Amino acid sequence: MRGLDDTPRSLDPLLVNDVPGQRVADDLFEGLTRAGIDGKAVPGVASSWESSADGRTWVFHLRPQARWSNGAPVTAADFVYAWRREVDPRTGAQDAEGLAPIENALDVASGRKPPETLGVEAVDERTLRVHLNAPTPYLLDLLALQYLYPVYEPAIRQYGDAWVRPQHMVCNGPFVLREDVIGSRITLEKNPGYWDAAQVRLARVIYYVLPSRADQAARYLANELDWTDSFAANQRSWLKSNLGEQVVNSPYFGAYFLGMNFQLPPFKDNLALRQALVLALDREPLVRYMRQGMYQPAYSWMPPLPGYDVPAPDWQSLSDDARHALARHLYAQAGYSAQHPLRTTLYTSIQDGDSRHFFEAITASWFSVLGAEVQLYEEEFKVLAQERNLHKLPLFFDAWIGDYPDPYTFMQIRYSGNGNNNAVYSNAEFDRLIDAAGQQPDNAKRYQLFEQADRLLSDDAAYIPLYFYATRHLVKPYLRGWQSNVMDRNLSRYMYLLEHQQR
Amino acid sequence: MLRYTLRRLLGAVPTLLVIVTLAFLLLHAAPGGPFDSERRILPAIQKSIEAKYHLDEPLWRQYLRYLGDLARGDLGPSFQYRSTSVNEIIAQGLPVDATIGLTALALALAVGGAVGINAALHRGTRWDYGSMALAVAGISTPVFVVAPLLILIFAIRLHWLPAGDWVRGSPSHLLLPAVALALPYIAYVARIMRAGTIDVMNSAFIRSARAKGLPLRLVIWRHALPPTLTPLVSFLGPAIAGLLTGSIVVESVFGLPGIGRYFITAALNRDYTLVIGITVLYGALIILCNLLADLCYAWIDPRVRLR
Repeated sequence: MRGLDDTPRSLDPLLVNDVPGQRVADDLFEGLTRAGIDGKAVPGVASSWESSADGRTWVFHLRPQARWSNGAPVTAADFVYAWRREVDPRTGAQDAEGLAPIENALDVASGRKPPETLGVEAVDERTLRVHLNAPTPYLLDLLALQYLYPVYEPAIRQYGDAWVRPQHMVCNGPFVLREDVIGSRITLEKNPGYWDAAQVRLARVIYYVLPSRADQAARYLANELDWTDSFAANQRSWLKSNLGEQVVNSPYFGAYFLGMNFQLPPFKDNLALRQALVLALDREPLVRYMRQGMYQPAYSWMPPLPGYDVPAPDWQSLSDDARHALARHLYAQAGYSAQHPLRTTLYTSIQDGDSRHFFEAITASWFSVLGAEVQLYEEEFKVLAQERNLHKLPLFFDAWIGDYPDPYTFMQIRYSGNGNNNAVYSNAEFDRLIDAAGQQPDNAKRYQLFEQADRLLSDDAAYIPLYFYATRHLVKPYLRGWQSNVMDRNLSRYMYLLEHQQR
Repeated sequence: MLRYTLRRLLGAVPTLLVIVTLAFLLLHAAPGGPFDSERRILPAIQKSIEAKYHLDEPLWRQYLRYLGDLARGDLGPSFQYRSTSVNEIIAQGLPVDATIGLTALALALAVGGAVGINAALHRGTRWDYGSMALAVAGISTPVFVVAPLLILIFAIRLHWLPAGDWVRGSPSHLLLPAVALALPYIAYVARIMRAGTIDVMNSAFIRSARAKGLPLRLVIWRHALPPTLTPLVSFLGPAIAGLLTGSIVVESVFGLPGIGRYFITAALNRDYTLVIGITVLYGALIILCNLLADLCYAWIDPRVRLR
């Protein structure tokens, strides 16, 4: 019994663009690869693969035992159909851009080419060939994402949007959909026809939709949940002292930061001011007192990832006083003073009281260290998202969560002209580094290029780092078969329950 | 009577039209759209989504299209929950809310009625003050305090009842939400019944009934109760509509698949069709319940004539 933070927006894996939807899709479907117990990709429907010398053509061999839940074999053509459907603008898949490494994907998704031109072909029933624009070392992790899962064409043809209802759904994962009570509960049952069913230990998985985190904790305490999607930050100390090890926080591949618009005053062409705002904040106490110490203070752009050396900026090692002094110096250099203070507005979304206090602490720091007068303005999330995308806001709250465990998913949004580049940041040198990394097949060298790019963002004060996310779950001690991982993907197929006394 | 009912039903149409129009205009005037999210969508895909939901058409056209669908009973597709229609959401949620609401209503009438009449008959005693103090406490304690308290006591500490979830036909899943929802209504009903009973018990026809030697129980059931119901009915009309469409708080605290919670989430998500659909439903229910209340007057009180 697992908690979910919200109703999945869809159970059609190709339309899923939310975390709750991903959790359910991960249990119902399986891609060429799938997320392993540690979040890294392991073989899924494909049992083996090889890539060409230039890393641009991959051939996947599908397992003959892989079956749809109606007994039909999973074929290469199913993947071709699904991927074409994903990038076809008529499908309206919000994550279609995720297929960008595949040849012609962006052209198809932009309506410039027909879906048939997508660089994927079924060589025979069990062989799939994929053509890429560039060597993509993270391809295997990408393939484990829901928007590259196969779907069953006859079901979609026959039932249209309703193919995701329990009575119509045909899936290929370790579980099948038994019941879907919108807004409340999703019940899955073990799929006996799944090729690896012998390894699946749970007979049934029930997801309960509980948007209020306090309610998830209550249901957990009443033994009606074995695993919560999250818990309320302000309940952490109580939970910790009462549940101990059952409270799980672990690094999560996401960053929380503030954006400064590079095309609007006062930040346009004003490096000193941007640096002053970055330097004036004391991240350790901010996270410790305003965020219950749950997260890791951030000094750079990319959250930690195995094999990636997070580049520490020079100012990180300065004492608080020295850093504040430097911040004041830069503030003065930018032309501001006590008589002529910086006056601007920080736009955030309405979340909860905790978040408001956190942002108040930030603006208070700017006032006490620099004398800057920054107002807080809370907007509905949809409004903030729209205004951010339209680049209307000078200073705003922003966050990013990586799709797959590779620096590129973070770096791309600082690339000139990227649709998610809310700050309108543009630096030719940065773009050059990212392009070079895109052509570099050697992963160690790629990571070095990304580290350089990361450092460049710090030097440019391209954003105001705050902290890196952490997962937060409550997990019963008798629930086993899962591991914390940076992608926070915990597939039910690995989980099992120890014998335990209920209550 | 029939003519009166028909006239009222016809009169409801323009009222509903005004509700739909206002909801439609207000929603579309609000900044931010249903498909704005933290991630930008490729323009061609955004366009195709907008075309699918007809968001690319001029507003008046969308409005007429919506009215046309509405006339055929089609509330449209949900924007937030893709692959789901508003009709499906309501068809799934309304029975849940109705079950909980009607149970809560029955509780409110039975418990509230008994407490109120009892307090009136023992006016000025400890019974009276005690139950009225409880009633005031019941009215003024918000559900978001009561519901978690009930869960804490009966689900987490005692493990007697489930803390949430909904299983059709399972009384144990129904009890806590129904009680949480009923508490303020019990209190209202108790106060209304007390006031009404006191009023009636002082009137001449009760005095004569008692003077004839009728036992007290019979006097209350046959003579005192019907006139006290009139103020209750005017309270119950809108109250039932509220109970049927569900309580945002009770639903989210107990994780129930009702529709009440969408009042807020759908608006925040700019799920245009879902917001308007629920608003129309709520409006229609209120109109209907008020009509039923008026019809009840005529039935309870022979002095009321509907024309």
